[in-house]
Amino acid sequence: MSDPTLLEIRNLGKRFPARHGREPSPWVIQDLSFSVGTGEFLTIIGPSGAGKSTLLNMIAQIDTASAGEIVFNGETVNSHDARMLRPGFDRRIGYVTQDDNLLPWRTTIDNVLFPIEVQGRLNDETRAQADVLVRAVGLAGFERYYPHELSGGMRKRAALIRTLAYDPPVILMDEPFAAVDAQTRTQLQADLLTLWGLGRKTIIFVTHDITEAIALGDRALVLSRQPTRIAAEHAIPIPRPRNVQDIFALEGFAAVYQRIRSDIQ
Amino acid sequence: MTDAGLTAAMVSDAPAAARKRVVVAGRLLLAVLLVLGWELGARTLGSVFFAAPLDVAARIVTLARSGQLAADVASTLRVSALGFAIACVAGVLLPFLLRRSPRVSTAVEPYIMASMGIPKYALAPWLILWFGIGDLPKLVVVTLMVFYIIFITTTAGIRAVDQRLIAMARVAGAGETAIAREIIWKSLLPFFFTGLKVALPRAVSATIVGEFLVATEGVGHYIEYSRQVADTVGVFAGIVIAIVLVLAINAVVNVIERRALAWRPVEREMEL
Repeated sequence: MSDPTLLEIRNLGKRFPARHGREPSPWVIQDLSFSVGTGEFLTIIGPSGAGKSTLLNMIAQIDTASAGEIVFNGETVNSHDARMLRPGFDRRIGYVTQDDNLLPWRTTIDNVLFPIEVQGRLNDETRAQADVLVRAVGLAGFERYYPHELSGGMRKRAALIRTLAYDPPVILMDEPFAAVDAQTRTQLQADLLTLWGLGRKTIIFVTHDITEAIALGDRALVLSRQPTRIAAEHAIPIPRPRNVQDIFALEGFAAVYQRIRSDIQ
Repeated sequence: MTDAGLTAAMVSDAPAAARKRVVVAGRLLLAVLLVLGWELGARTLGSVFFAAPLDVAARIVTLARSGQLAADVASTLRVSALGFAIACVAGVLLPFLLRRSPRVSTAVEPYIMASMGIPKYALAPWLILWFGIGDLPKLVVVTLMVFYIIFITTTAGIRAVDQRLIAMARVAGAGETAIAREIIWKSLLPFFFTGLKVALPRAVSATIVGEFLVATEGVGHYIEYSRQVADTVGVFAGIVIAIVLVLAINAVVNVIERRALAWRPVEREMEL
């Protein structure tokens, strides 16, 4: 909001290249611009197939952009060439994907420590920090379990704290709670807000669920369909800390919900 | 039975132990039947064509006492193990290197496939010409036999790696070495062990066939020597020793596999 801009997306576009005699695809994402301030929780709402994952993949630098640029902390990155990509922007952008992508051969704690380990920062202090996170999301006692032995919600938590544990200033989240039941989702949202309250990271959270976008975000962007652009922007005037369970009842919720719904239709 | 079996598997260890006893008993029964059939064959066909199991057992004991068994097994194992080790290192490293460069990979692949078509045993006379009659020609044949199996299973394993895991690791700051070691190698381990199990008996067989051709010792040499002097019991004893050797090595591989893949949600009884 009033915080200085940390990440800026300028006129970003994506079309899939020609292949095997196939024409290049039409623009999937075109002329998409927005910015995020330090410590802001931005939610992006888009219908399925609106290119939400593609957008986050481009920001995380694991997919090329066909047009436009990404500016991180004043540093412009041209990511049109696959060989020039810098996945995760040198550990400054974390990414919690739709699938938990836990390594099946690692236990919970070893999955959480994976980024720290490959970054060569494994020591008593980082281990202790990871332990705190494990406890905070209720995974204590399950440190030595393998992913296939955990419930869906536990796997989501493990994936979430794996990214939080190595402390990137920006975290992208791609419908991380879409595949769990409603009750677990509410609990996960509450957990996420608690964790976010502790560190105040910059979060870009993509979802197709309007309620979720309002419950979590400081600001919500609405995406249009084909090609995907920013159709509207809404500040969410609900004060924090928020009670996710009763978000419907809070003042201001209904009005924002109505406005976002009409934008989508 | 199926109901009881299912419940037993879920509830506790005691019925599982009972089931294990049933499996062991079944195996023993099969072994007895096999030996009986063998004995029957020896009686109907005569000992020149078919050595009797007791004679074979007696021969193995004699060989063991004289020290020849240990010497022959050691010789065969030495060549098999060394060839196997070289083939494994090359068969794993090469796909990893090729992975780094898709262009080189596409260029080289047809040649690797074509060279796979070479009948390895047919190389023997030529290899003897080059390397003499020591261990080396046998070693080359064994290495080639095993290499292709490991190479192909490793390549298949690398192709099957979940690309999303690799993307996750890159974003988390993993370099190429860490990705190769922590993601690709770990996820291709089941493929690798399958390759090992297919390749192991072949390595031993290849060594034995090599020993038919050039050797002064080894299980294969013993079989071939017995054949030349029309000693059917000796041929059978050699074959039994080879089978036991393969089974023993396989058991060792199973133990290593179980430890390496302990994370997998596989039912224990399903192991090969």
